[in-house]
Amino acid sequence: MDLPIQMLTTAVAVPVFGAFLIPLAGRVSTTARNAFAVLLGLFTFVAAASLFSTVTGGETADYALSFPLGLDFILSADMLSVFMASISAFVSAIILIYSLDYISHYENQTEYYTMVVLFLGSMMGLVFSASLLWMYVFWEMTGFASWRLVGFFRSDRDVAKANKTILVTVFGALCMLIGIVMIYFDYGTLDLRALHGQSISYAAAALILTGILAKSATLPFSTWLPDAGVAPSTVTALLHAAVLVKIGVYAYARIFGVTFAAPDGFSNAVLYLAGASALVSAGAALIETDIKRIIAYSTVSQIAFIFLGLASGNRTAFAGALLYILMHSVAKGGLFLCAGIIEQNTHTKDINKMGGLFSSMPVTGTAFALCSLSVMGIPPFGGFFSKFLVFSGAAQNGSLPVLLMFLAGAVMTLLYLVRLFYKIFLGDPAGHKSPREGSYTMVASVMALALIGLALGALIYYPSAYTELLTANLGVNLQ
Amino acid sequence: MDKGLLAYLLIPLFAAVIIPFAARCRRKLADIIAAVTLLAGLANLAWLVLRPSVINGGFADIPGDGLSLLLVATIYLIGLCVTFFSAWFMDEELPNRPAYYSLILVSVAAMTGVVTTSDFFTLYVFIEVLAVTTFALITTDESAGGIEGALKYFFLTFPASALIIAGLAVLLLTLGSLSFENLRIFMASDIPSGPVTFGAALMLLGFLIKSGVVPFHAWTPDAYQGAYAPVSAHLAGIVTKISGVYAIVKLATLLRFFDGRAQGLSGMLMFLGMLSIAVGALAALRQKDFKRMLAFSSISQVGYIVLAAGLGTPLAIMGAVFHLVNHATFKTVLFLNSASLERSAGTTDMDKLGGLEHSMPWTSWTSVVALLSTAGVPPLSGFWSKLLIILALWESGFKTYAVLALLFSIVTLAYFMVMQRKVFFGLKTRAAENSPEVSAPLLAPVVLLSAVIVALGLLFPYFYTYVRVVTERIIL
Repeated sequence: MDLPIQMLTTAVAVPVFGAFLIPLAGRVSTTARNAFAVLLGLFTFVAAASLFSTVTGGETADYALSFPLGLDFILSADMLSVFMASISAFVSAIILIYSLDYISHYENQTEYYTMVVLFLGSMMGLVFSASLLWMYVFWEMTGFASWRLVGFFRSDRDVAKANKTILVTVFGALCMLIGIVMIYFDYGTLDLRALHGQSISYAAAALILTGILAKSATLPFSTWLPDAGVAPSTVTALLHAAVLVKIGVYAYARIFGVTFAAPDGFSNAVLYLAGASALVSAGAALIETDIKRIIAYSTVSQIAFIFLGLASGNRTAFAGALLYILMHSVAKGGLFLCAGIIEQNTHTKDINKMGGLFSSMPVTGTAFALCSLSVMGIPPFGGFFSKFLVFSGAAQNGSLPVLLMFLAGAVMTLLYLVRLFYKIFLGDPAGHKSPREGSYTMVASVMALALIGLALGALIYYPSAYTELLTANLGVNLQ
Repeated sequence: MDKGLLAYLLIPLFAAVIIPFAARCRRKLADIIAAVTLLAGLANLAWLVLRPSVINGGFADIPGDGLSLLLVATIYLIGLCVTFFSAWFMDEELPNRPAYYSLILVSVAAMTGVVTTSDFFTLYVFIEVLAVTTFALITTDESAGGIEGALKYFFLTFPASALIIAGLAVLLLTLGSLSFENLRIFMASDIPSGPVTFGAALMLLGFLIKSGVVPFHAWTPDAYQGAYAPVSAHLAGIVTKISGVYAIVKLATLLRFFDGRAQGLSGMLMFLGMLSIAVGALAALRQKDFKRMLAFSSISQVGYIVLAAGLGTPLAIMGAVFHLVNHATFKTVLFLNSASLERSAGTTDMDKLGGLEHSMPWTSWTSVVALLSTAGVPPLSGFWSKLLIILALWESGFKTYAVLALLFSIVTLAYFMVMQRKVFFGLKTRAAENSPEVSAPLLAPVVLLSAVIVALGLLFPYFYTYVRVVTERIIL
């Protein structure tokens, strides 16, 4: 096997199978287990990122394992999958490092690390799969891992929310499976490379969309995501920011962006749905008082912007949406991890009981501010460029009502993040005893994410050139 | 009768006879003889099928029609797990302990007879033997629940036997012989099939009652709940599947449902299968007792097999056979888990349990594996069998059934999620502190079966090759 193909298979196999070795490492010692988990995360990132040189050279790496009935297991590294895999693996690796301190005083740590790494591995499998059926297989595996992770604290409420998470996402996935079966009987194959440029029926597209919306927590399936905020902050960062919700967006880009030519009416419906989702969740973020629920609603709202870019049918917007995935993963991951530090040190999630924390937690406060600015889309942060590209692309061939909805959504983003920052870090202290700053690794992790957000803005040329090349090479039916 | 497989029938029967005598010298000998007999049979079967040369040859060298062999292996596997489990689970001083092992071995022999025979009369005889041993096995637990379950079993399955024998009579009158081959040849010819279909319908009705399909399901929850814990695993995992469901699958292939000669029957089976899926799953949602919930889950899963058998296309039969084997593995795991719960926590009432994963991690995790497979979550084995069934339904144009069958997986997942929340997944409770993990020998069977579930899922291509050989031999 060539080196790229080896890298491709190890990027999937090492975390998936390695996850099940973590309990064994846990038998040796706690340190061995933690080190092993972090190593798995870093290794996955390196393996995924090493494929950049192959795909930018215009080649793909493919690996196939024959399965009966044409349900072959196919892994394929192209520009889109490598881009997505590297982002997820990077943020996951940061989250694993941050977890070392964050999770160290809870029970069930071994299960936690196992599930996080299994989750990462399933994500890699999903991203690299070039067969719809195998995307579904890994899709369900991420659902299983998130079930255990959301229920991490084990109280009756946690477990009920965990059950809600898995039932909603699995329901969506089953609808998607029906859509996949329809495609299978229409074209006789599920190999996405062979399906490139085909048309897709409304029914199949709608069923697959149901699965995607359920996973990415967009209206009408958005309620599980804020509820899942009962999980540890690292988990919410993993699920809500970096990986889980991005699965839906990625699947949309993969299936309707670069494989099938989606019908026009379908894309328009997605735009309106996303617009409604952006507005409703931004509104919810404005009135919530639980820090994690606010950030979770913000995720729901930002995901809608990504859908706007992907569904506009315009090259600029599509490239912008891909950049958006990158910027949002980094910035939102940072926000959730900041929230984790704040929550752990103030012992509350209610923003009315915070206030004036900047003096005692300056580094966290700075990182939080930087990440917020990126999510708002203030230049020169990375978030500005992605938002700008999405809007300018959508303006070229979008309808006015949709644009207005999203414009309102963007303004509300600004409002609720400013409100959040003010309530937490500025103003008068509200009955807390000036909590300490988080531990060194935790603060370093969030600061790293914040600075990367800034750096991505400064060096925007490289990622945007990459996404433009990607769109030009792979995009289907774009203007 | 498939003569090559006769030994798998005779040896357990012989062992069953020896056990009472051997147990007089040393009581422990009963356990040992039973377990060793089954283990030896299993090793022998593994050698027949799992040699690298056979696997590489695409399983072309396996003897017989392949289906018998696969099912004999499943019967032995479940039998072994149940026997081994019972050896450590049962009270040492139980007076009818040797009889219990004899009965298990007789039922294994009878089931082997059922799956290896090639005519309906022998099939009927073995099914009756199985029914009598099952009746006796349920009463091993001499409490009121056990007796009640046994009586319900008796009153519902013996009318079923009457229906079967009436159907046999009709078949004999019209066909002149009861061999499988004759029926197959008849169905392939152009002769009007009225009386034969009538006879077959009577038999199908009997088998439907025996397999506990809705609306004939009333006896199963009571029998499973009332029976002695390992017995309910044996019963739900394999006995009812062989005495009822296997016969339905066999009839479906013989009646050539796939070429539309017996369309009415095929439609009826599919409808009842779908009804079972729905009723079983919805009823399971409302159960408070772990074993009862599993019993309803069993009804629902049998529905998938009956649905596929009713369709009768080669792909559907493949799915049905695969699901039959899968069901045997995952349902046995869950029932043995419930037995462990009973042993450790003293109850299977889900409202009185909670957070048991802290004290019983192995039981908890094996139950997770089994439930995910039942709900059809990939990449476990249950996913593939369900997928085959759904693809088969869609291929033949039964899209509504396909969609419904798929969407009821979410109900399956839902009741298992409720179960996990109430029993295993949660904060440590008082119940958890007082119920330590059961001993390693009791865990060995469930861990083994969980490994089989994972392996069948990951090695699906090999298993598919095998099942395809089977279907080619029994249908074409």
